[in-house]
Amino acid sequence: MLDRRTLLTTALSLGAMELFPGLSFAQARPLVFATFTGSWEEAHKAVLVPAFRKETNNAPIVLDPMLSVDQIAKVSAAKANPPIDVMLHDPGPALTALAQDLVEPFPVERSAAFKELIPDAQDPHGPAAFFQVVGLTYNPDTVKTPPTSWADLWRPEYKGRVGITNMNSTLGTGFMVEIAKMHGGSESNIDPAFKAMEKLKPNLSAVAANPGALATLFQQGQVDISPGNFNAIQILKAKGVPVEFVAPKEGAIAFKTLIQIVKNSPNRELAFKLIEAAISEPVQTRLMQAPYLVVPTNTKVKMTGEIARVLAKDTDDLKKKFVFQDWKTINAQRPAWIERFNREIKL
Amino acid sequence: MALPDVTTYPLRLASPLAVFFTAFFAAPLVALLGLSLRGADGGYGLSQYAAFLGDGFSLGVLLGTLWLGLKVTAACLVLGLPLALVATRAGGWVRGVIILAVLTPLLTSVVIRTFAWIVILGRQGVINSLLSSLGLIETPLRMLYAEGGLVAALAQVQMPLMVLPLMTALARIDPSLWDASEALGAGRWRTFLRVTLPLCLPGLIAGSVLTFAAAISGFITQSLIGGGQMLFMPGYIYQQAIALQNWPFAAAMSVIFLVAVLAVVLAFNALGRLARGYAQT
Repeated sequence: MLDRRTLLTTALSLGAMELFPGLSFAQARPLVFATFTGSWEEAHKAVLVPAFRKETNNAPIVLDPMLSVDQIAKVSAAKANPPIDVMLHDPGPALTALAQDLVEPFPVERSAAFKELIPDAQDPHGPAAFFQVVGLTYNPDTVKTPPTSWADLWRPEYKGRVGITNMNSTLGTGFMVEIAKMHGGSESNIDPAFKAMEKLKPNLSAVAANPGALATLFQQGQVDISPGNFNAIQILKAKGVPVEFVAPKEGAIAFKTLIQIVKNSPNRELAFKLIEAAISEPVQTRLMQAPYLVVPTNTKVKMTGEIARVLAKDTDDLKKKFVFQDWKTINAQRPAWIERFNREIKL
Repeated sequence: MALPDVTTYPLRLASPLAVFFTAFFAAPLVALLGLSLRGADGGYGLSQYAAFLGDGFSLGVLLGTLWLGLKVTAACLVLGLPLALVATRAGGWVRGVIILAVLTPLLTSVVIRTFAWIVILGRQGVINSLLSSLGLIETPLRMLYAEGGLVAALAQVQMPLMVLPLMTALARIDPSLWDASEALGAGRWRTFLRVTLPLCLPGLIAGSVLTFAAAISGFITQSLIGGGQMLFMPGYIYQQAIALQNWPFAAAMSVIFLVAVLAVVLAFNALGRLARGYAQT
């Protein structure tokens, strides 16, 4: 019999299911891919997702863009039943995820595309889906001679016009390591970089809290030259902001962006298929083209357009022009460096 | 049978909110406390607290944050009290316009209001272009990523939190009290000090507490206008928790920050009681 009480209970439980869909459908959720926010999400939605759907006969997939650190936080908070199946990480966080035992090894032997990757990108814990490249960014309206070296940031004519970020970001840390190397240091000896920063202070106009904030400072004319991410600069350029990117003669810093299967993921097979698509030649070729300009890791991709013009003509050229850093060594000391940056870099 | 007292409500009515608060505020807070007691070696103890409190740099960040809050509160008070006075005393459309001007920023996101300040304070921003076109400066002043600019931006962003409680308190004052004070020979300043100020104290304290709390925890404005080298507690906690994954230390910092803020808020209230006592004698 349908009385008021049963009606209420039914309504309540229906409401609860609506509020917490995970209650009843925990097993059959779609593949969740935590990509990065902004242009990465757009690129993956437009190219990677359709390729994945084609391969898997329209398997359900959800993009849940978030920062690396948030991915790690969410997965490590629910290790047994992770809310994410595929993670995307810069080299530092990728090692953190590995150290916290959040990563399922990539089934290399079943993968056709893995062997086609540049050796540096062949990580058995999850291959590099693309490279992020850091070089010099400048405003061509105010900087008439394009910079050619990291050392140009120290030139007296840029007094009060240089921007950097703090070491919270991969970009900020990678930049400091490169500066250390320029002055005789290395991944295990950051001292020279801090000494060089002391000398850079008169030129510094801004120490931004993150790379995104740094990029907007070009729009405001607050900075005219800074280290910058190739892809972030392309977005600004497309919006009409006067910025140019050059790879310094010391080599552009390249970060492997690793794509990993989450341990205990209920969708391991689909996760494998997504990664397989992400490192395949057709997807990477399409992503390399405008407007995405994602730097490929698959050696079969023929480089064209802006990437060929500014970064590298082919894989061999790329290996020569890119500088890879030893993030294992960096990660071990990074907390101490960030702490030191807090204390020493005060404008 | 005794009739229920109509002036009180059964406590049960508050239970939905109580459940909500227990689940989403009290429980996480307890979890945070527990997390903060985890040492670097995995054991439990007060080592994270000792690390923070024994470190001059960290204490400096804490004091710097509280000091920033006081400066912003003072700025809001100095700018907001006259505005609230004018709005309460003026009638008709002037009052409407002022209320609208105070409320409009609340309808815009903090991020957008903060970006407007980047445009104003930047090297080629409104202020610098004006000063240099007037020939007053040769090289642009550095206001963005400097504390002065940050205080100005935070004060503007948090201004409604100060002005609205003040206006409410001022509106409650019987206008005839002002007339009486003047009729009895008190000048404007004396009337303000002996009548207006004591009577609007509750609003003033409420406004100050709100502004202070919002200013010290204003992560967005602090990071966009203050930049990456000026460290305040919210940014410091974010760095430890998110960039360094050092959750126990970040939890300890949060607890210390919470206690410090509570202490300042209690001090505000004590000050208010003291001032009220003084005003009544």
